[in-house]
Amino acid sequence: MGVPLNIDWQQILLHLFNFIILFGILYFFLYKPVKDFMEKREADYKAQHDDAKEALEEAEKIKAEYEEKIAGAEEEISTMKSEAGAKNAEERTRMIEQAKADAAGIVEAAKKRGEMEHDKIIAEAQKEIADIVTTATEKIVLSADVKKSYDEFLKSAEGNVKNE
Amino acid sequence: MSKKKKITGFIVFFVLIAAVTIGIVLLGKPREHAETLSEVMRDAVLHETMKVSLFGLKDVNPGLISAYCVTAIVGLFAIICRIFVIPRFKEIPGKFQLVLETLVGLFRGLAKDNSPRKNGILSAYIFAAGVYIFVGTMFELLGFQAVTTNGASISLPAPLSDINGAIAMGCGSYLFILLGGIANNGFHGLMGTIKEFSLPLSMSFRLFGALLSGALVTELVYYPMFLSFGLPVIVGVLFTLLHALIQAYVLTLLVSIFYGEVSEEKLDKVEKKKRKQQKKAEKLAAKNKNIEENNENINNTITSEVSK
Repeated sequence: MGVPLNIDWQQILLHLFNFIILFGILYFFLYKPVKDFMEKREADYKAQHDDAKEALEEAEKIKAEYEEKIAGAEEEISTMKSEAGAKNAEERTRMIEQAKADAAGIVEAAKKRGEMEHDKIIAEAQKEIADIVTTATEKIVLSADVKKSYDEFLKSAEGNVKNE
Repeated sequence: MSKKKKITGFIVFFVLIAAVTIGIVLLGKPREHAETLSEVMRDAVLHETMKVSLFGLKDVNPGLISAYCVTAIVGLFAIICRIFVIPRFKEIPGKFQLVLETLVGLFRGLAKDNSPRKNGILSAYIFAAGVYIFVGTMFELLGFQAVTTNGASISLPAPLSDINGAIAMGCGSYLFILLGGIANNGFHGLMGTIKEFSLPLSMSFRLFGALLSGALVTELVYYPMFLSFGLPVIVGVLFTLLHALIQAYVLTLLVSIFYGEVSEEKLDKVEKKKRKQQKKAEKLAAKNKNIEENNENINNTITSEVSK
């Protein structure tokens, strides 16, 4: 015997052999599949988390972009408004000026026409007077009675005025 | 049924049991043991007489048969799990899946905590070792019977209460640590493991001592007949469960700690050189500072002397 506690090297190896087999079975049939499943799930959750994070970051970015855009648009609107206001005022002034100029033109034309009309009437009246005078003068000259002629002239003049 | 009646029922029940137990103990002839207590205990340690034939090839200690039984049970369980349970695993685990995942996660966590650099194979090893020690220790509760070479019937003990099993486990673990050290750190790993030369001995005998003492105490307690009633519920189940857990935990923890130690990153030569140079530079800077201070002191003394 010799070996204390009845240690048997062959049996130790048999135990080792047994444990190695057990290790192999446990590793391939239980440990590895369960570990793989857990790792896969962990990876899935991580991917989901990463995706969500990415999406959130993207959303934040887009939001910031939109906010910036909105701020820009507001600014643009206000400049456009002020520009439009300025333009409007300019147009209005221009139209008022135009209207004033037009009105002045119309008045001028009316005045001119009035004057022309007036001149015409006077010219016609003068012509008529000349005619009357001529006629009267002819009559007087023909009758040679000055007083009578004068009266007749007055009468004819009166008659002309009445007729008119 | 009223409360009073219930209580009376219970009392009658227990009195009956007590009376019958006392009767058994007092009236029975004293049991004739096949072996004396000292023989039983001696055999539990040395396995001189109680041998079991291993398929007619060799007479071996009953612990080896137990070890094969444990492997068969655990292997069957693993294969059944692989075929019927694991393919049906869900994202949100059920109860049984949770148990398996917790078990695997526990050993993975232990390996990761103690050996952060390399722990893939370590976690698999301590998983197998932990399961083997735990199931092996609980196995003695099943009371599987085997026939010894001299015709007696024997209840199969825990595989690790056999010194050969314990040595196999302890030395196997040491070998595993050694291989891990060499694989991860080469010569440094080898030297690191050899430095812990007492490890296989301590691990083997820790297992052997713990499990054997458990078996011996149980043997001692069960020897007188009247202690074989009721008491095994506590002594048998509770103690066995407790030291199964403790031994499984201790061995796996030790293996992972030592494995982590021998496989941790060693500083390479360039890094060492850099550190040396840095230290030198620091020393030089300190020296220069000292010299400057001395110079200043001397100057001060000279000026004060001159002014005097």
